[in-house]
Amino acid sequence: MTGLETFVTHTLHGIQYGFVLFLIASGLTIVLGILDVLNLAHGELFALGAYVGFTIIGYLTGLVAPPTTLSTQLVFLGVVLLGAALTAAILVPVGVFLETTFFKPIYGRDEVYQIVLTFALLLIIKDVNKLIWGPSPLRLQDAYGGINSIPVLSRVGLTYPTYNVVIIVIGLVTVAGLFWFFNRTKTGRIIRATAINREMATAIGVNTGRTFTLVFALGAFFAGFAGALALPPRFASLDMGANPLVLSFVVIVIGGLGSLRGAFVAALLVGVLSRWAIWQYPPAELAAPFAIMAIVLLVRPEGLFGTWGEMG
Amino acid sequence: MSNRSLPGLVSRDGETRVRVTKGLELTKRQSMLALVGLLVVFAIPDIATVTPSLQLTVVHQGLLFGLAAVGLNLLLRHTRLVSFGHAAFFGTGAYTAAVLAAKFDVASFSLLLIAAMVVATLVAAIVGYLSLRHTGLYFSLLTLAFGQLLYALVQGQSFFGSSDGLPVRPGAARQPLIFGLALDSEAYAVILYYLTVIILVVSLVVMWRLVNSPFGNALDAIGQDRTRAQFIGIPVQRYVWIAFVISGVYGGVAGALYAMVQQHVRPGPVLYFLRSGDILFMAILGGFQTLLGPLVGGVLLVFLQDVGRDVTAYFDALTGVALLIIVFGLPRGLVGSLRAGGLLAAATRDFRENPAVVGEWISAAVTGIVEATRNWLRDVQSILGVR
Repeated sequence: MTGLETFVTHTLHGIQYGFVLFLIASGLTIVLGILDVLNLAHGELFALGAYVGFTIIGYLTGLVAPPTTLSTQLVFLGVVLLGAALTAAILVPVGVFLETTFFKPIYGRDEVYQIVLTFALLLIIKDVNKLIWGPSPLRLQDAYGGINSIPVLSRVGLTYPTYNVVIIVIGLVTVAGLFWFFNRTKTGRIIRATAINREMATAIGVNTGRTFTLVFALGAFFAGFAGALALPPRFASLDMGANPLVLSFVVIVIGGLGSLRGAFVAALLVGVLSRWAIWQYPPAELAAPFAIMAIVLLVRPEGLFGTWGEMG
Repeated sequence: MSNRSLPGLVSRDGETRVRVTKGLELTKRQSMLALVGLLVVFAIPDIATVTPSLQLTVVHQGLLFGLAAVGLNLLLRHTRLVSFGHAAFFGTGAYTAAVLAAKFDVASFSLLLIAAMVVATLVAAIVGYLSLRHTGLYFSLLTLAFGQLLYALVQGQSFFGSSDGLPVRPGAARQPLIFGLALDSEAYAVILYYLTVIILVVSLVVMWRLVNSPFGNALDAIGQDRTRAQFIGIPVQRYVWIAFVISGVYGGVAGALYAMVQQHVRPGPVLYFLRSGDILFMAILGGFQTLLGPLVGGVLLVFLQDVGRDVTAYFDALTGVALLIIVFGLPRGLVGSLRAGGLLAAATRDFRENPAVVGEWISAAVTGIVEATRNWLRDVQSILGVR
């Protein structure tokens, strides 16, 4: 492999990682921006997505023909993506349940109780995953290999997993969809209005209670979607929620608190820079995102796009 | 009133009180409770030799995490800042002791402790400087991120022994020397325990003095309303920063002692962010509006976790359910709720007067669950747009 090829491969890996991070962080940042709750259980929703995805995608891919020819390969890809979408859909009622049962009664309380509550949910969801899927890590071996057998970048002479290309494309579509949702649709604008001024939104007739539930469900949706998409190349394990959660925090801090655009830029930044760090100096893998965060905090304490609660 | 500088008896409002330090005077009942509490704590090594279910190291660990939680509580109770990265300072203390012992063969107990205090002060100063620029949830988020940064650093460097950690077995005796004495391992454990108790009592008295000083009052004012505190001339940023450093030092001391008790330090148990959650939970469990609550919470949680791990594989979920009960049912914590007027005190009184009240509680719980399910179904329908 030439130097340029290595560079491109690592950068692509970084971009792919950045998109997954953005999917997780976007849910966390809208919940933080609108509900004013730091949801520590968000990482576990991601893990739950991976586990549900394991069951659903595993079941669905068992129904279709193994990916050998181009047409079966495309069907296979479609089925995997369908499974991921279904997983995300299943996470919606879960999110609604969590919000209405646990979060609703606690909005007016001291924030320490909110943090302890989400920490409690983190522990409980982790053990629910353990109860249903068992303590040992699970892997969807076939899905990753099956999609990678579709030649995409190998046509231009680059060895890069097709699945990651798929993730980048889906990430782009999701980002575009999210910005369209928040800027162009009525519901999206209502959510933004609630984020900017909750009382004023109530005064002009917005049902803030319902908006809160919707936002939390949206966060759960994207966490679950990210979990299902992140599953094929890796294992679903009980502790898989911790790292994305903390990295999402890093992304939110770098991007600017409550800014979706900031989260997007920061996720790609963290993804690509930490990938380069791993390539150049492997021990820096874990610490690289935090180093970026510390620098941003020193230079721009409000983050790259600090808008303090305004979305967009 | 005759004895001003030494602890002794004083008379206030016609009541005799035990004077511990300036301003800290206990009523008869309080001093009895304190005495009994101290006696129990002192008797633990003896009790532990009789019953196998109570282990000295477990109580010892509980006291140490409790000490860290007492430190965290300075921020939580007075400045209303929720630090979710307190394991960072506990871990800093533990790793300072471990690095000095493993890499530089420092065996002196006091040296290890002092070094841990110094390094914890430095780390807390830096982390505090960076994270105290924000308040509220963003402060919690930043402390958590910095805690994980330390975890990542330790985990990634072979100097710190990566995930295997470092042994704390310096010198020829293969353990730290307390006042230069080479003790056998049992005597070492017991003497270290008593030293911990002494350090603990001193730390609690210092903390009491601190929160009842003008500085502590200023922190309360900051916690109630930052802007107002700023306007009446309190240097908010500097005071909060000092409080953060002090609370970090408490964690550092506890961590160093932990390293010497366990004689081995690994990043998972001391630096991981779930540990920060545990420390915060200890404060809430015991009652963060009290001085002793976090300590009680610490001992209780470590003990329950030790017992619970043997009983069920789903111990985390049990902890979670306990947290939910605390959040929704006993927001003042165990110590806070036992006080007159607390929920727990009221519940025990109701129960004593009429044991049938349990039936009411159960029916209330069932109604609550039914109500919650109905709400959930309605909200799912409303979100999905189905009518």
